[in-house]
Amino acid sequence: MDGKAWLDAGLFFLRILLPVLTVGVAVGCFHSMKAGRRREEPVMVLEDMVSKKRIPVLYWENSIGRSKSCDVVVADMTASRDHAVLMRRESGWIVKDTESKSGTRVNGKKVDPEGKAVLPGDVITVGSTSLMLKRTTEAPMRVPKQRRLHAASPFSLMMWVTVIQVLLLLQACFSSGAFSLLPVLPFVGLLVLEWGLYVYSIHHLNRVSFELETLGFLLSGISVLLLSGMRTKPQEGQALPDMLALVDGSMKETYVQLAAVFLGILLFCFLIWFMNDLDRVMRWRLGIAVGAILLFLANLVLAKESNGARNWISLGFISIQPSEFIKIAFVFVGASTLDRLQTARNLSGFIFFSAACMIFLFLMRDFGTACIFFVTFLVIAFMRSGSIRTIFLALAAAGLGAFLILQFRPYVLSRFEGWRHVWEYVNESQGYQQVRVLSYSASGGLFGLGIGNGKLGGGTSGNPVFAADSDLVFGMLCEELGLIMAVCCVCLLAALAVYARSESTKSRSTFYSICSCAAASMLLFQACLNVFGSTDVLPLTGVTLPFISAGGSSMAAVWGMLAFLKAADERTYAARRSKAKAPARKGGYGR
Amino acid sequence: MKTTGARSLIVYVFSVAFAAGLLFFLGEYMINGGQWAVQPFNKHISQGTALTGKVLDRNGEVLAYSTEEGRFYHEDPSVRKAMLHSVGDTAGYISTSVQYSYRAELAGYNLFTGLGTPLGDRTAGNVTLTLDADLCKTAYEAMAGRKGAVLVCDYTTGEILCMVSTPSFDPQNPPEDLFTDETGKYEGVYLNNALSGTYTPGSIFKLVTTTAAIENIPDLDSRTFTCQGSQLINGNPITCTQVHGTQSFQDALGNSCNIAFGELAVELGNDTMMNTARSLGFGSSLSISGISTAKSHYDVEGASPDELAWSGIGQFTDQVNPAHMLSLMCAVASQGTSVEPSFVKSVSGGLGLNLPGMASKGNSYMSASTANRLQEYMRSNVRDYYGESWFPGLEVCAKTGTGEVGEGKQPTGWVVGFSSRADLPLAFAVVVEEGGYGSQSAVPVAGAVMQQAAALYK
Repeated sequence: MDGKAWLDAGLFFLRILLPVLTVGVAVGCFHSMKAGRRREEPVMVLEDMVSKKRIPVLYWENSIGRSKSCDVVVADMTASRDHAVLMRRESGWIVKDTESKSGTRVNGKKVDPEGKAVLPGDVITVGSTSLMLKRTTEAPMRVPKQRRLHAASPFSLMMWVTVIQVLLLLQACFSSGAFSLLPVLPFVGLLVLEWGLYVYSIHHLNRVSFELETLGFLLSGISVLLLSGMRTKPQEGQALPDMLALVDGSMKETYVQLAAVFLGILLFCFLIWFMNDLDRVMRWRLGIAVGAILLFLANLVLAKESNGARNWISLGFISIQPSEFIKIAFVFVGASTLDRLQTARNLSGFIFFSAACMIFLFLMRDFGTACIFFVTFLVIAFMRSGSIRTIFLALAAAGLGAFLILQFRPYVLSRFEGWRHVWEYVNESQGYQQVRVLSYSASGGLFGLGIGNGKLGGGTSGNPVFAADSDLVFGMLCEELGLIMAVCCVCLLAALAVYARSESTKSRSTFYSICSCAAASMLLFQACLNVFGSTDVLPLTGVTLPFISAGGSSMAAVWGMLAFLKAADERTYAARRSKAKAPARKGGYGR
Repeated sequence: MKTTGARSLIVYVFSVAFAAGLLFFLGEYMINGGQWAVQPFNKHISQGTALTGKVLDRNGEVLAYSTEEGRFYHEDPSVRKAMLHSVGDTAGYISTSVQYSYRAELAGYNLFTGLGTPLGDRTAGNVTLTLDADLCKTAYEAMAGRKGAVLVCDYTTGEILCMVSTPSFDPQNPPEDLFTDETGKYEGVYLNNALSGTYTPGSIFKLVTTTAAIENIPDLDSRTFTCQGSQLINGNPITCTQVHGTQSFQDALGNSCNIAFGELAVELGNDTMMNTARSLGFGSSLSISGISTAKSHYDVEGASPDELAWSGIGQFTDQVNPAHMLSLMCAVASQGTSVEPSFVKSVSGGLGLNLPGMASKGNSYMSASTANRLQEYMRSNVRDYYGESWFPGLEVCAKTGTGEVGEGKQPTGWVVGFSSRADLPLAFAVVVEEGGYGSQSAVPVAGAVMQQAAALYK
């Protein structure tokens, strides 16, 4: 074996290592999040003044009422089914009456609709039942002992992510058999971003958790370094960049992607700050909805059609895809806190907003994104109402809509002509992209051919299949990093959805729970459309793969989505409080 | 909060859908990955050198190989033409060839590294055929430019020693008029007639009628049949090649008397004939080294008596596939059950694993006693009627056929049979398009090939 062969063998070995490390980091992160989760034990206790029976308060938002589905059930015929809500806010515990018949009293005084702060020792009266709020230390309750899980430190997990990125950097530097230093700059950029955010959030904001950010950086790093193996096609007569060059115009897309990660992190930090105050969020909801509609309008007016969809606004030097950001607004508008869920059961506002979004997306001919909005609508609508009927009505309406579209716009159907028949359209538009994804995915085998060595993305020669790095990026992943790594990446997104669900009763408000489940479902469904669309399991709709696909708007918006998952982690907002007024709540989980 | 937690289970719907989709994709990837990878548009394998593995005949003779310059074939042009349909062409038009059906293995694809070469050069697999290049060459030359197919196989193992389809061309130097020719000399050139062709059987179909008669007419051998050269059935004449007079059943088969077999078919009836044909494999395809053969066709559903009579002597709408006929001959030679014929001996995978050819399972066509009686009749055909001169010392059992095709064309000549010598377990099927009488067109080809094949077993 000569030097080149040894190098190839070495790089191949590193590619075998990549999925092992990736799985390791993912397992470490999810394990750490599980270990950091509050155990099933009461945060406060309500004591019945008459029977002295103690009712544990398990959540940060608790419905009180006669109904079995309430978090605090009072066996009292004079209480309403959903009588009141006891919830924790930054200022302390608050009781809100949720349009009960007989009203709610605190220490004998009627609670007005804005709610009333309660302190340990206060007595809350619903119907004819009086409950005294007590700290768990004052009224100990027997709770099952749970094993404390040992978790990897956030620092070590981030270090492993860095190791993975070093391995990817090596792959990228030696792509196409020609050494190049060009991927080093994006790599350094990544390091600055990830360790910058790490230091900021652990040491400045005193947060204890960094797992979701770690996973976000793991995926974004794969994206940036995967793109760094791609070059734009050199102009006629243009000299190729020197082997030791650090910056080159042919890497533009990678630089854009890195900048998008930066913007995404800013958006992530902003959203987490913004969502800290739920009253503020609720005040801004209408504004956000109106803003989203206006953005859609602007999109329709300003956008030029490209590839059959009008979803880009060009701002001269940069073009953005507003629908990516409207996804965030959509989740905001849909989610709600428990007290509002109890009082405003009507979904009509949200349904109206969703319908408007759909119409805009159809006018923009962005059917893939319309599907994503619809699925997110289903998740939010179900989590808010719990009504299967609503879901069926929505599905029926969607079916009718699809039927009408096919009746009046039969050409839409032609887009699906190639589905499950792509091999009959090898060189026609109905199957051209999919067969190349399949062929090049298989060419990569389980461990890939190395970054920049793919033919789907074109590598350093700059001759990619159209949309290789966005709609077809799963094929690029398979070809260059191997099937196992590609499957790991998409499974990570699925794991995020499972995580969001498991966190849904632990978060500090139903608002966060609904947001995180909606956001995670949206990411997963989008991943499904992307992966299965490009591999001909589903029709190709042309949506991006979250965190991986090239595209500034998409990358930034996905980090925004991650903020919803982060907000649902109760530790996110605990640190701020413990810093502000440390001894406020001894019994709870201030940390 | 509790209810929100319960409702959040909806997220699992997507997780399950995702998992299902992913498993579906991975399943397809496992099964079809090789075919996906080895596509002409795949830039990892440049045109012409996509296949890097060798194709070898049963004696290790290299039939196709690759160098930096491209794909190369055997040095002898006759061998190249004789093996074209088994080995395949460089462009991949012959989809029943090993260069097409084993292209993933020949291109060095494997599930683990794809088309990648992590440890040096790509280690492409080799395909070893059961065919004998010299025997194929003899068969090709014996066809002398006529269209048709020649098949010889060992009926104990199912290994096909000779498979030739004509017309053919030289894959090393494809003729310039391959696509432009209008005389029809290359018509069907990409089709392997032995596996994918069907022809009017003529008298070889009388073996099917004989099988039905053996199984349904107990006093068959004591019967007599009278032939006056022509006979009206249902008001339509069934004609014979000559006036055979009064004959026993053995005579009728040896003489290939149309009158006798027309009457037998009518006597047996539509249902019996259909059932026998079905149990003999008509209407279903064989899998020969993973390649599905064309189906033989026999359908007398609702046919009138005269049509039924013609169908019993291999006319009407009857169509047979040469490989199917070969398989039937194997069954007659070996107690009614045929080993499934194959022409791929082994495939060495990209990782150096030696995969066996497709597993062969048997086809049970008829009972052993039926097979043995057929064998006696067929042996008598050669010994007492055709003469042994074409198969000296080979103890061949056979039946010839001449399928009328109309349209002013010469009939299709057939001969099917086998050697009954235990030390020479060879079956054969030869068809010559527009060859005229089977005894004059197909038999000499079969004789030449069988004599050379016999030498292999010495």
